[in-house]
Amino acid sequence: MENTTQESHLRSENSVTYESPYPLYSMALSSSSSQSRTRNHRIAVGSFIEEYANRVDLLSFDAETLTLTAHPELSFDHPYPPTKLMFHPSSVQKSFDVLASSGDYLRLWEVRDTSIEPISVLNNSKTSEFCAPLTSFDWNDVEPKRIGTSSIDTTCTVWDIEKGVVETQLIAHDKEVYDLAWGEARVFASVSADGSVRIFDLRDKEHSTIIYESPQPDTPLLRLAWNKQDLRYMATILMDSNKVVILDIRSPTTPVAELERHRASVNAIAWAPQSYRHICSAGDDTQALIWELPTVAGPSGIDPMSMYSAGAEINQLQWSAAQPDWISIAFANKMQLLKV
Amino acid sequence: MEMDSNSNSDSNSNGGGGVAESDSGAEDLVESDSGWRPKHLLFTPYSPPTQTQTKSQSLRVVVRRPLVARLTKDIIETYQICNPQFRYSEELNPKRYLTTPSIGVLNDGFDNVNSDLILNVNYVLINLETQRRYIVKDVLGHGTFGQVAKCWAPDTSSFVAVKIIKNQTAYYQQALVEVSILTTLNKKYDPEDKHHVVRIYDYFVYQRHLCISFELLDSNLYELIKMNQFRGLSLSIVRLFSKQILHGLALLKDAGIIHCDLKPENILLCTGVDTTDLLKFSLGLPLFPGASEFDLLRRMIEILGGQPPDYLLKEAKNTNKFFKCIGSVHNIENGEVSAGIRSAYQALTEEEYEARELKKPSVGKEYFNHMNLEAIVTNYPYRKNLAKEDIIKESQIRLALIDFLRGLVEFDPAKRWSPFQASKHPFVTGEPFTCPYKPPPETPRLPVAQNIRVDHHPGGGHWFAAGLSPNIPGRNRVAMHNSPHFQVVPYAHTNSYGSIGSYGSYNDSTGLGSSYGSYGDTNSMYAYFSPVGPSGMNMHVPGNVSVLGSSPDSRRRIVHYSHGNGIGISPSAGNFAPLPLGTSPSQFTPPSSYGQVSAGSPGHYGPTSPARGSCHGSPLGKMAAVSQFNRRKGWAYPGGSHSQDSSSTNWQGQSADGTSSSQTEGNSQLLGNSPSHPLSNSNAARWKHHGGGSGISAGYPAIQSVPGFFALGSNMQYSHTGVTHDKQENSLALPDPGDWDPNYSDELLLQEDGSDLNCIATEFSKAMDLGSAEPSVEQGRFSHISGTSQRPNGPLQSFSRLEMGSVPSDAAHAGYSHLVSKPSHLMPHASQSSPSRLGQQHQRYSHGRPIAAVRGSDWNPMKVQPPPSGYNSGTGNSSFGSSMSWGNPGSIEPLYLLFEHCYLSPLVMD
Repeated sequence: MENTTQESHLRSENSVTYESPYPLYSMALSSSSSQSRTRNHRIAVGSFIEEYANRVDLLSFDAETLTLTAHPELSFDHPYPPTKLMFHPSSVQKSFDVLASSGDYLRLWEVRDTSIEPISVLNNSKTSEFCAPLTSFDWNDVEPKRIGTSSIDTTCTVWDIEKGVVETQLIAHDKEVYDLAWGEARVFASVSADGSVRIFDLRDKEHSTIIYESPQPDTPLLRLAWNKQDLRYMATILMDSNKVVILDIRSPTTPVAELERHRASVNAIAWAPQSYRHICSAGDDTQALIWELPTVAGPSGIDPMSMYSAGAEINQLQWSAAQPDWISIAFANKMQLLKV
Repeated sequence: MEMDSNSNSDSNSNGGGGVAESDSGAEDLVESDSGWRPKHLLFTPYSPPTQTQTKSQSLRVVVRRPLVARLTKDIIETYQICNPQFRYSEELNPKRYLTTPSIGVLNDGFDNVNSDLILNVNYVLINLETQRRYIVKDVLGHGTFGQVAKCWAPDTSSFVAVKIIKNQTAYYQQALVEVSILTTLNKKYDPEDKHHVVRIYDYFVYQRHLCISFELLDSNLYELIKMNQFRGLSLSIVRLFSKQILHGLALLKDAGIIHCDLKPENILLCTGVDTTDLLKFSLGLPLFPGASEFDLLRRMIEILGGQPPDYLLKEAKNTNKFFKCIGSVHNIENGEVSAGIRSAYQALTEEEYEARELKKPSVGKEYFNHMNLEAIVTNYPYRKNLAKEDIIKESQIRLALIDFLRGLVEFDPAKRWSPFQASKHPFVTGEPFTCPYKPPPETPRLPVAQNIRVDHHPGGGHWFAAGLSPNIPGRNRVAMHNSPHFQVVPYAHTNSYGSIGSYGSYNDSTGLGSSYGSYGDTNSMYAYFSPVGPSGMNMHVPGNVSVLGSSPDSRRRIVHYSHGNGIGISPSAGNFAPLPLGTSPSQFTPPSSYGQVSAGSPGHYGPTSPARGSCHGSPLGKMAAVSQFNRRKGWAYPGGSHSQDSSSTNWQGQSADGTSSSQTEGNSQLLGNSPSHPLSNSNAARWKHHGGGSGISAGYPAIQSVPGFFALGSNMQYSHTGVTHDKQENSLALPDPGDWDPNYSDELLLQEDGSDLNCIATEFSKAMDLGSAEPSVEQGRFSHISGTSQRPNGPLQSFSRLEMGSVPSDAAHAGYSHLVSKPSHLMPHASQSSPSRLGQQHQRYSHGRPIAAVRGSDWNPMKVQPPPSGYNSGTGNSSFGSSMSWGNPGSIEPLYLLFEHCYLSPLVMD
C-alpha cells in the first residue's frame, strides 16, 4: 500500500469523506475485496469536468478503520465525464478487478493493486465520425459476461464482454435511452426520454413490455433501479421532479407508490441490498432519504424513515451489496460514505 | 400501495411517528422480515420541513442543472462543451420500423407490397395544408384498410390515433365515406361529444395516403372481456356500457346511419378500466355462439324460443335455406296466418338442412346446454360469498336483464326496441324492475318519422301528411301484408302505428295518448286527439294546439331538445326530427319539453316551416313526449298539462285552440278548425316558405279530419293536394335516383355538409312521403284509433278499409320504419344541416333541399311499405317512383351496404 494515505477530512465512526480536486459524478464500489491480504473495498469515482479529459480515481476503503485511501497511481484519464462506473459484479476472488465505464463508448479496465490497464473499448458505431454517447449501463450479475448499455440513439446494446462482441442491439425506445437495469440473466428494463419504462427479454426481442409511462407525455425518465431483493419492484425518477416512482411489474401503468418528500429534484436512487422494502434517494435538496415501503400507503403519502443532509446537492448515490451498511453519496467534489 | 410483506403494517407509521421517537424508540418499529432496518446514526428520523425551512427552500435558486440531467437529457450539449468537435446526428439512429413488411416496393419506395405506408418511430405525417404534424410513435393496429398509428401532435400537445389508409383507390374512397359520416356525426349530431361517438379531428393526404386523425382511445371491449378471461363483466358495468352504447346508437338512428359492424372490438374504452371491478356477470360468451348461419339460427330459435315472423320469412331471400314452409302461402299473403297461432314456416332440422344443402352444417360447441334465455341468465352462477340480500338484489337485476335482452333480440323488427326505447329500460336506468317493460312510444318516433314524412309533405306540411292519407288505401293494401303481424299483435292498433308495437302498449294504457303519438306523427292532429281523448280537456288543449300546436309542440320540443342537446336536436329536427323528437322527449323533458316545445315549437314551426323537417320532427317529438308523459303519469294529461304550462306563452293561445280542438275531437269539425287555425297561422308562414302552402292547408284539414274519421276523407283529399304539390316540388328538386348515388357518394366522401345531397334525398323522401307512407300510416293509425274509440264514425267505409290496410301498413311501417328510419339517418347526414333546423333548414328550404332530409327518413318507411308503389301510381308517379325506388333499394339495403363499406367508426365508451 502506498504511504500517501489520504485521510478524509470529515471523519467520525459513522462516516468518512473523500474530497476530490474536481466535481464528482460517477461512483462505483467493488463487490469483492479483490486484494487477498486486506478486506479493503475499492471505490472508483469519476469526475465531471467540462473538458474532454476527465479523471477516474480509485480509492480503497477499510470499514474497520474507517479509512479511505487514495491511489493516485491508479487514476486514469477518461474521455468525457464518465456517465457510469461499475466494478465486475462477481465476488469471486481474483487477482484483479475489472472496472467498466461508459461515456462515448463502453470501456473495460483491468485494475490491479498497483496498476490499471485498459482492456477494451467496445464500440458498436457503424461510422467513425459520429458516436452516440452512452448514458448508462448495467452489468448482469447473474451472467457477468453481459453488459447492457443505453444510448441516446434510442437503442440498448447487450455486449458479450468476454468475446467483445455485440450480443444484440435493440431499438428499445422512441427517444434517447437514459438508463438500463438487469433483472435476470436475460431480462432488463430501460427508461427513456420517451417517458416509458420498458422491460425486454432477450428470448423475445420482438416485444417489450411498457410498465410505466410518465404522466406528462415525453417527460424523460432519468434513472431506473431494479429491486434485486424483490424483482417485482423497481424505481424510477422523472426529470425535474421530486418524485420517486415505485413500480410493480405486475401492475403496469400504475405506480404502487410515489415518494414525494424531496424538496427539489431527485438525482439518484438505490435499493437497499439487504432489504426488499428499503430504498434510498438523494437529490438537489441536499438530502438523502431512506424509505421503507409500507404495506399500505396512508392518505397523506409516505414519509421517509430517516434523512441525512449533505452540504450540497447530491448527485450520486450507491448502496453496494458488498457494503450493505454503507451508503455512498457524491456531492460537489466530495464522496462520502454514510453508515446506516 | 401494496407490498408483499410479513411485517406488520405498523411499520407504516415510522415516517410520521419517527419524528418524536428516539433512535431506540424508532427501533421498536416493526421490522421488515429481512430483519434489516437502518440505524439512526447519521441519518436522523425524518421530520417534515418547517415553514421557515420551506420558505428558505423555496427561495433556493438552483442555477445549475443536476449532473444527472447533464449526462442524460443534455448529454449532447455537455459533450459539445467538453469537445467542440463533438457531433451527433439523430439521422443516424437506427430506425424502428412499425410497418411490416418494411421494404419499400410501391409508391416510390414509400409503400410496402401491401400498399401500406412504411412507418418507423418518429415518422412524421404532415397535413400539407395546415402544416400540422403528426409524429408516429407506435402502430396500434392494422387491417385491410391500412394502419392505425399512435401519433404525437405537437400542435395540441396530445396523442391522437391516425388511420393511414392504404394507397389504393377503393380504400381511399371508402375511407372518405367514413370521414364524411363521422364528420357529420361529430359536427351535426354530437357537437358536444356526448353520445359516445369517436371524434374525428383531421384528415389529409400524405404521400398518397389518406390519413384520418381521431381521438386516441383505449382498448376495446373485446380486449376487456378477454382480459377478464371471458368470465364476463359485472352487471353494473354491463348496464353502464349498455347505456352508452344505446345512446350512441340512438344518435346513429337519428342520423340515419346503420352501424353494420357493431361488436365488442369496435367499442373502444375511453380510459383504462379497473379490471378488478369487472368480473362477475355477463356470460363473457356470445349468447349465440353459432359456428355457421344454420347453427346461429338454430341457437337463436332455441334460446329465444320463437322464430322470425312470417312476414319477414316470406320476404327474406334465404328463408328456403333454413325453413320449410308448412302453411299455405295463400294464408300468408292474406295475413291470416300471422294472427295465427302457428307459423307457416318451420325451421329445418340439422338432417333436413343437410339433405337440402348437401352438406352438413357446422355446429358449434354447446355452452348453455340447450337452455333458453331465461335459464341462461338465471342459472349463471352467482359470485361466491354473496350476501343473501345481495343475491336477491342481483336476481332482480337479472330478471330485468332478461326482459331487456328479450326486447333487444326480438325477432320481429317491428317489435324490437329502438335504441332509445331500450335505453329507458329499467335495467339500463337502474330503476326497480317490477314488470315487463313496455317501451315508450318512441317507436312512434319512427312512425313519426314516417309521420314526419308526412310532415315533410306538410312541411310543407304535416298537413300534407294528411293529404297522404288519401293515398293510404293503396298502402293499406300493401300494409296488409304486414298487417298480419299487427293483427296478430293485440296491440296491433298501436303496433300499426309504429313500430307501433310499443305504441300499442302505450296506447293500451293510455289509449288515446299512444295513438296520439302515432297520429301525432303523421299529423300533429292525431297526437292531439289522443291526448284529448285521454286527458280530455287538458289533453285536448294540447291536442288542439298540438294539431297545430302539438306538432309544433313536438317540434318545439324537439327543437328545444335540440337546443338542449345542441347537436341532437337540431340534427334531429332537420333530418330526423322524428327521431330526435322521439328521443328527446323520451329522454327527458317530455314534461318540460312540452312547455318548451310549445314555446319553441311555434318558433320552430314558423322557422321550420322548413318545418317540414321540424314539423316532422315535432310530431314525433310530441309523440314521444306524450308517450312519456303517459307512462310516467300514466296519462296523457300530465303531458297535456305540461305542454300547457310550458307552452303557455306562445302556445297557450294555441293550446287553447287545442283544447277546443280536443274537445272537438269528438267533433271533427272543431278539431279541424282549431288545428287549422293554429296551423294555418303558423303554418301559413312556414308553408309559404315551403311553397307547399296549399299542401299545408290541406294538411291541416286533414289533421282535423283525422280526428274525425271523416277527416280521413278530407285528408285524402288534402293529401292529394298536398301530395301533388310536394310531388311537384320534389320532382323538380329531386334528381333521379341514379343521380343520387354518385352525388351522394361524392358528397359523403368529402363534403361536410351534404346539403345538396340531403336536399336531394329530402326531396326524394318528400316525394316518397307524400306519396305513400304518411297517408297510409295516418289513416291506419287513425283508423285504429278511431276504430277503437270511434270506429262507428271513423270507420266510414273508406276507413274501414283504411284501418285494415292501414293497420297492417302501420305495422309494416313500423317494421320498415325502423329500417327506414335508419336509412333516413343516412339521409340526415346529407341533410346534416338539419341540425340547425331553424336556421339551416331555412336555408335548405330555400334550397328546397332541407325538406329532403326529413323526407329521407320518411322515405324509408315509404319504401318499406309496398303501398308506396300504389301511391306512386296514384299520385305523381314520377316523383314517387323515383323516391320509391330509392326507398326500396336505396333506402334500406343500399344504405346498409354503404355503411358496411364505410366502417363506421367505433363507438366511444366513457
